[in-house]
Amino acid sequence: MKERGFTLLIWASALLVAAMLLWVLSDVFIKGLSHLSWSFLMDEPSDSGRSGGIAPILISTLLILLVALFVSIPLGLAVAVWLSDFTEQRSEFANIIRLTLDALTGVPSIVYGLFGNAFFSIFLGLGFSIVSGGLTLACMILPVFIRTCESGLSAVNNDWRKGALALGLSRSATVWHILLPAAAPAIVTGLILGIGRATAETAALIFTSGYVDRMPESVMDSGRSLAVHIYDLSMNVTGGDDAAYASAFVLITLIILLNTFAQAGVNRWLKGRLVAL
Amino acid sequence: MKKNVLCLCALLCFSVQQGAMASSDRLRLTGSSTVAPLILEMAKMYEKEHDGVRIDVQTGGSSRGVNDARLGLADIGMASRELKPSEQDLKPYTIAMDGIGIILHRSNPVTALSQRQITAIYKGNIHNWREVGGEDLPITVVNKAEGHSTLELFLKYFSLKNSQIKAHVVIGDNQQGIKTVAGNPGAIGYVSVGTAQYEEGRGTAIKQLPMGGYAATVANVQNGFFPLSRPLNLVVKGEPSPLAMRFIKFAQSDAVHGLIKAQFFVPVGPL
Repeated sequence: MKERGFTLLIWASALLVAAMLLWVLSDVFIKGLSHLSWSFLMDEPSDSGRSGGIAPILISTLLILLVALFVSIPLGLAVAVWLSDFTEQRSEFANIIRLTLDALTGVPSIVYGLFGNAFFSIFLGLGFSIVSGGLTLACMILPVFIRTCESGLSAVNNDWRKGALALGLSRSATVWHILLPAAAPAIVTGLILGIGRATAETAALIFTSGYVDRMPESVMDSGRSLAVHIYDLSMNVTGGDDAAYASAFVLITLIILLNTFAQAGVNRWLKGRLVAL
Repeated sequence: MKKNVLCLCALLCFSVQQGAMASSDRLRLTGSSTVAPLILEMAKMYEKEHDGVRIDVQTGGSSRGVNDARLGLADIGMASRELKPSEQDLKPYTIAMDGIGIILHRSNPVTALSQRQITAIYKGNIHNWREVGGEDLPITVVNKAEGHSTLELFLKYFSLKNSQIKAHVVIGDNQQGIKTVAGNPGAIGYVSVGTAQYEEGRGTAIKQLPMGGYAATVANVQNGFFPLSRPLNLVVKGEPSPLAMRFIKFAQSDAVHGLIKAQFFVPVGPL
């Protein structure tokens, strides 16, 4: 009897969570689909976003994400490698870095937004621009990305390192050809977490990449991201709900697509490096 | 793979170069998120009529608009309220008005409520329409969600704190408020006068109550008689640049009245 109750509870919890997710998705799907069309993806917004499309916003979102990943992937991987392989596992300094990264993970995104505005936009003079927004997002996703990659690298069996050493492989070759490929699943997880967090971000972007919904001519232009657009339509624009739902639908689809690409990209990169794990 | 990365690098560098060569005919506005969608539309119209001009609109709230205009971070600030006594170093240019009207269901026989009655209803001291001369029907209090400037204006006018309000329904935007009241014969709510008048005209089952003896009409907001209203301002410090001044004049001209009405605000000046 007790066993049965326990099983029931576990199943009910799982179903509840799945139902909540389904509810949100179907809500966005049903309300968004009626407003969605090819021209919605291809046109500039008009009438404060109530009509027209989201083409410039989609482009800005992708550019912001590109800048963020362009900065955070190499930097993040380097720090993760340093933490796992270039310093004593128990060194005081490395522990301080880990603690700092964990603390930064929990910082609300609006704080990153205000920091980005003060540092990138004003101090470095980048203004409201896609670069400012991308760099702010990079700061935001770096802590999670580094910690995920580091845990992946640390989990690689030490025999592999010893084997590489015995074969006389250089340190860089060991990292590049053995450790990083072996830690690829963790890197993908880090990427997916980062992309998800970055693409859905509003607070960190409204003060950095800004509100302008024109097609960006360069990454020094201000560009509105999809999440900011959805926020504006639902909070500030009377009658903007339909367009907001359609944009939310696009946003969710975009995140799913990007995650698939990230997975496929890392898999392709892995091929020819490691035969089997 | 390597080629792709190189291409990306080149693209980004090129992009940065392009940005550095931008023209000097630029204008930047920051501030109120209520005003921003309206100004953005005005800016697009202005850009279309004046080749080479670029107007960037950013949000962040009225206080930010005031602050950025003061520090020179923006050419023009946007504020959805009057300037405070401490902000008299800036000069406001009113581009539109926004009024807030109390709405009831159309079938409700009550035609007017005093300020005290409205306060009592929102505090939960009056529960039934019978107590204010209506039918025997419980009152459904509809309030706005935290963070809306209409809520602030409403609270200030009735000297209420949001924590004192006993709301049955909390809503987001005007549209939602109108739907809620239209679907509930016992409801009372408050929304933008422009939106309400538009919906009333379309036959939605709502009616607006007069405030301080003045009917809740766009005309009364426009001439300043309606008490529960606020100006939407562009603010500048000192002498604005010629381009900024031209844009402010444009934002106050008849050419943008259509845009103002499309956002359910009220144009200023003679009818």
